[in-house]
Amino acid sequence: MSFFKTFLNSPVGPKTTHFWGPVANWGFVAAAMADIEKPPEMLSGNMTGVMCVYSALCMRFAWMVQPRNYLLLVCHASNETVQLYQLSRWAGGQGYLQLKEDKTPSP
Amino acid sequence: MATSKLQALWNHPAGPKTIHFWAPTFKWGISIANIADFAKPPEKLSYPQQFAVTATGIIWSRYSMVITPKNWNLFSVNLAMAGTGLYQLSRKIRHDYFNEEETAALKE
Repeated sequence: MSFFKTFLNSPVGPKTTHFWGPVANWGFVAAAMADIEKPPEMLSGNMTGVMCVYSALCMRFAWMVQPRNYLLLVCHASNETVQLYQLSRWAGGQGYLQLKEDKTPSP
Repeated sequence: MATSKLQALWNHPAGPKTIHFWAPTFKWGISIANIADFAKPPEKLSYPQQFAVTATGIIWSRYSMVITPKNWNLFSVNLAMAGTGLYQLSRKIRHDYFNEEETAALKE
């Protein structure tokens, strides 16, 4: 019970913007999860690529900012993972991940 | 005089040598990617993704004005996100719901 109270009153708790900003960013993760089954032609390479760079930067930001924002860090670590996966699916659909045709098979 | 001011900016604790500068600056990439996707046909747009972009933009715009000091840089980048997201949503909704009515009316 006291843990919950500590959380409610924390400087990065639900009474502060440091909480709700990161909560909004979980929307990106939720959106990517909703699109996980979509065919690769429907994915946006632009947006997914940008998200990969952006979440990497935000993980560093969340670590360095005062007070340190673990919620934001976890949010962007998750987003980085799911966006990289979507990027690989998009790249596969575009033909970037194909093996060279003249590759000799391994013995 | 100008050099020392530039030096002060360069060495600022939230300046271009720090993540406090580059994370918000790169956020413009999301709006730029969305603008590049204005050319995409509406069938290829993603409702969840555009909704997430719009909602994030609106929430962060509001909070950037509530914090001390007000962060106009953060406000402007999130306003752009909300704007591009709303436009993309309107394109897709118009395509999905209003084109059908037009084609149905034409058939009658």
